[in-house]
Amino acid sequence: MNQETITLTPMPSGVLSALLAGYRSVGGFDSLLGDDGELRPHWHALLENFARLGLDGISQRGLEAQRLLHENGVTFNGRALGSAARSWRVDPLPLVIDSHEWPLLEAGLAQRARLLDALLRDLYGEQRTLREGLIPAEALFQQGWWLPPCQHSFDTERAALFSLGVDLVRDSEGRWRVIADRVQSQAGSGYALENRIVLARSMPNLYRDAPLRRLAGALADEHRALVSLAPQHREHPNVVLLTAGPGSDGYLEHAYLASYLNLPLVESLDLVVRDQRVWMRTLGGLKPVDVILRRMSDVWCDPLELRADSVIGVAGLAQAARAGNVRLANPIGSCVLEHPVLEPYWQALCERLLGEPLLLEGPEGWWCGAPDALERTLDELPGLILRSFEPGAAPVHAARLDAQGLARLRQRIVAHPDEFVAQRPLAAASGPVFDAERQRLVPKPLSLRMFCSLDSSTADGSLEEVAYRVMPGGLAWVGEPGHPSVNSEVVKDVWVLADSPQPHVSQLRQASEPLLVTRDGIDLPSRVADSLFWLGRYGERLDNRARLLREALVRLLEQDQSSVADPSLDGLLEALELEPLEAQAEGEQRFGLIRARLLSLFSPDAPDGLTTLARAVHRNSQAVRDHLGDDAWRVLNNVGEEFERCTSASVGRRACERTVPELAAFFGLCNETMPHHYGWRLMDIGRFIERCQNTLALLRLALVDTEHNGAAAWEMVLATTDNFTAYRRRYRSELHPSAILDLLLFDEGNPRSVGYMLKRLRRQIDHLPQPSSAPYRSSEQRLVIRASTTLQLADVAALAGLPHSPSAREALSALLDALLDPLGELSEAVSNSHFAHVETPRQLLEMQVQP
Amino acid sequence: MIYQLRHTTRYDYAATVTLCHSEARMLPRALPWQHCEPSEISIVPTPATRVQREDPFGNQLLYFSLEEPHVALEVSVATRLESGPRPAPVEDRLGWRESRILPPLSDPEALAVRMMTLDSAFVRRSRALADYARPSFREGGSALEGVLDLNRRVFEEFTYDPGFTTVATPLDEVLRSRRGVCQDFAHLMIGCLRSLGFAARYVSGYLETVPPPGEPRLIGADASHAWLAVHLPGSGWLELDPTNGSLPSEQHLINAWGRDYADVAPLKGVMSGGGEQRLTVAVDVEPLES
Repeated sequence: MNQETITLTPMPSGVLSALLAGYRSVGGFDSLLGDDGELRPHWHALLENFARLGLDGISQRGLEAQRLLHENGVTFNGRALGSAARSWRVDPLPLVIDSHEWPLLEAGLAQRARLLDALLRDLYGEQRTLREGLIPAEALFQQGWWLPPCQHSFDTERAALFSLGVDLVRDSEGRWRVIADRVQSQAGSGYALENRIVLARSMPNLYRDAPLRRLAGALADEHRALVSLAPQHREHPNVVLLTAGPGSDGYLEHAYLASYLNLPLVESLDLVVRDQRVWMRTLGGLKPVDVILRRMSDVWCDPLELRADSVIGVAGLAQAARAGNVRLANPIGSCVLEHPVLEPYWQALCERLLGEPLLLEGPEGWWCGAPDALERTLDELPGLILRSFEPGAAPVHAARLDAQGLARLRQRIVAHPDEFVAQRPLAAASGPVFDAERQRLVPKPLSLRMFCSLDSSTADGSLEEVAYRVMPGGLAWVGEPGHPSVNSEVVKDVWVLADSPQPHVSQLRQASEPLLVTRDGIDLPSRVADSLFWLGRYGERLDNRARLLREALVRLLEQDQSSVADPSLDGLLEALELEPLEAQAEGEQRFGLIRARLLSLFSPDAPDGLTTLARAVHRNSQAVRDHLGDDAWRVLNNVGEEFERCTSASVGRRACERTVPELAAFFGLCNETMPHHYGWRLMDIGRFIERCQNTLALLRLALVDTEHNGAAAWEMVLATTDNFTAYRRRYRSELHPSAILDLLLFDEGNPRSVGYMLKRLRRQIDHLPQPSSAPYRSSEQRLVIRASTTLQLADVAALAGLPHSPSAREALSALLDALLDPLGELSEAVSNSHFAHVETPRQLLEMQVQP
Repeated sequence: MIYQLRHTTRYDYAATVTLCHSEARMLPRALPWQHCEPSEISIVPTPATRVQREDPFGNQLLYFSLEEPHVALEVSVATRLESGPRPAPVEDRLGWRESRILPPLSDPEALAVRMMTLDSAFVRRSRALADYARPSFREGGSALEGVLDLNRRVFEEFTYDPGFTTVATPLDEVLRSRRGVCQDFAHLMIGCLRSLGFAARYVSGYLETVPPPGEPRLIGADASHAWLAVHLPGSGWLELDPTNGSLPSEQHLINAWGRDYADVAPLKGVMSGGGEQRLTVAVDVEPLES
């Protein structure tokens, strides 16, 4: 929307009253309207600005935000392997926290972080809180929360907790109440960042004019604090973000955060513990890791000391941390802070551990194992929320159970009262959400997640100085207290207002620039290099298949259904590795058979079909999400989107038609925007090995295999390689094999020729890291030299008699073989020398104790 | 009694292992009735790292890592130790129900006792276990009477059957089939006691085997053994050996204790590579003098 349309919208006051029409607080506190039913003062300026967009304008901005969210693919990605695809919508109106109430909330959250830190150190240290009876030990020690191997594993002189996510609601009186603490894998800060960027782009005016606290400072500080955690204060510590991998929830958020904070994104197989140190496997060998920002639940982190069935953990990690050679943020063992039994005791803990009253209270609740608590719980059961200590169990709202469910719950509580905490539900205050359909604001219950992390200036100080910094913003979602954010339909950005305009930061990314330290080069994890190589190969293979299939479908559609005569179709079937037709198939039967064979390539079950290849492309691209530019990622997200709907030849043809330029755009964007580091080179090597092989196979099909000889086949080769125009410009319309060979094999000036591709491969391979000690050429170098020399020394005269002379065909066949052999070996050689082939570690057998 | 204890664990691999992280709990605990001389530990190949520490249950734990390619691993521990009689159990006047009351927090064992009343990896409390145990605890009877009777019943009603169970056989299966080995019986009785509300812990160690009269003692034919201890107000931690239906004596040498086997496995590890593995264990409990 441009400036002109804005001036044409109705007067803001009219829009404003339309927006607010019918808006009433739903009993209790409302964050938009005061008790008197009037707008709260801090909303005035922002809402007026919002209203200036006009009702349709707001709706459009909402759609725009949705589109951006979809394209970024962090919160949204149907293809995220195995992870739950979120389908939430970001509200164009942020949730606003006033500059007057922020200091209180900020202090409360910072206190909460200090409290959790003190408790964490106590529970794995002296255990005063248990010995003094502040927390019932028989509840705390329930399996899965307090992890025995972590006892005495923390440095008692320094802060243990690094960061904290806190779920909050406002109760019906407007007081902030804490619903849950998140310390293990705090999803949400990446989403909050993404929402902020999306809103800033879709509503630049609103964003620019609000005296809004920016997120960039908090994230820059988080990075500084991570760096300061490094043991022995190494000057350029290696800080990595550990994720459970593309199959896990939140993987794309991890990739987003890693990229934003400029940290290598690693999975367990990228790391190895040797000599009680953590190392990262990179192209250049093992590189020490100093700090790990962990996005993996505690119990999965180390199969030696924690869950033995973990295949996503790193064996020896707990020992490396215990030895002080690596710092984990948060440390393993922090999961105890999420134990539901702590809920009723925060008040007392705060007074005991910090000597101050608790600022942010939770819901009223009690441990059912306490004296007399069972009776009270059973009396009030239908009105309570019960939280079992079973790790991962969701809170149970007794009011939502049927009679049978309630009876079962009662039984479970009576059997093990010491395994439950009972809470009185909180009524969440309401806040405004834009209803796009009715084009007005409606009141909805809102939950928030806010984030704290260790203040970098105190990260290394003594315990008395430890302070936490609260991110001025967060993630809000529609839902009653305890409603998980991922199940919500609507999320909101959280804006914290300042008293005065904040320094303008137009691009969040720029604000973090001081942290951008170039890390490209041989530090690239070898798993990433491996995925980039295969992304190149699969992408190119998909391109080749899409071109061949497009050619085949075009030709098929041109035919008369009753007499399919084009001989090149047989060649295309062969090039696509489809079964040849039986000789007796004729007429419409023949047409139908060819069509079915060709369309089968869109089936997800076809081993080398387009759908399968597109999936391989997506799988590899997700493993390297943090290395791809946003534009490239957006383009790639669309590749293959309609393959599974291709049930007719014309739809299939269009899908192929679309895929070719999409892949070209993707690789083009990679070439233009990816730093030309080793990873990029390996992707290029993958592409050109594949393309070279495909071109050679096509040439053999059209010029050596006699059956398909002829102008139609030659034309198919030119069309598939997109060299039709180039050929015509040189040779008009006269087709001759020698000319085709020159264009596609020998002419190094033609980027589609094998000669050019080999030259490019040679250049890329010469730039790969080599063991410095070896005075000789690497096996990859020798193979590409072998192929190039074979081509350069080829006896062109011997090929002169093509297409009819058998000896010329034999000579060409021998030449193509001599080129294909080293290329096949090259792929293997690259893989052997540059990618770590890591087996998933296994447990030693255990023997039963007998007798 | 003075014993020379030797425990050797050997792994042979079909393929090369490039990296292995391990934890051994093979160093016997020092106790008022068990005096241990320093152990001789031999690990082949020589570990790149070796760190000894005390685990949260007070056991000696040895972490080591092998970082060079190898095809076999052998860990041997030899310890000379002197074992004396345990303190005799004390009968108290409480009924068994009252005996389950947790010791006050001022008691040094207070936290450990609390932990041992809860479920653990191999032992989950259940009604079936409670039902099995209850006949041993008559109304008004003492806890000591009850646990001794339960110890006798497990010994008499369960069949020792090596090969029937594995390290992963669930407790209800053991209870149903009434079969198993010492590890199962220890877990089962711990489960029974915890299901009734007592604190019970798993004890791993060794038992001197006495050859039949006239036959020589076979070296290396002994094995690890497992039993349990229950916490009672008068006696403190009272050991019980349901496999033999007895109260452990000088012949029971304690290695480690924990919530269950998972806390005290003598050797565990995570390795890269290796293929098929073959495990051989030799334990020798040699009485030197009495």
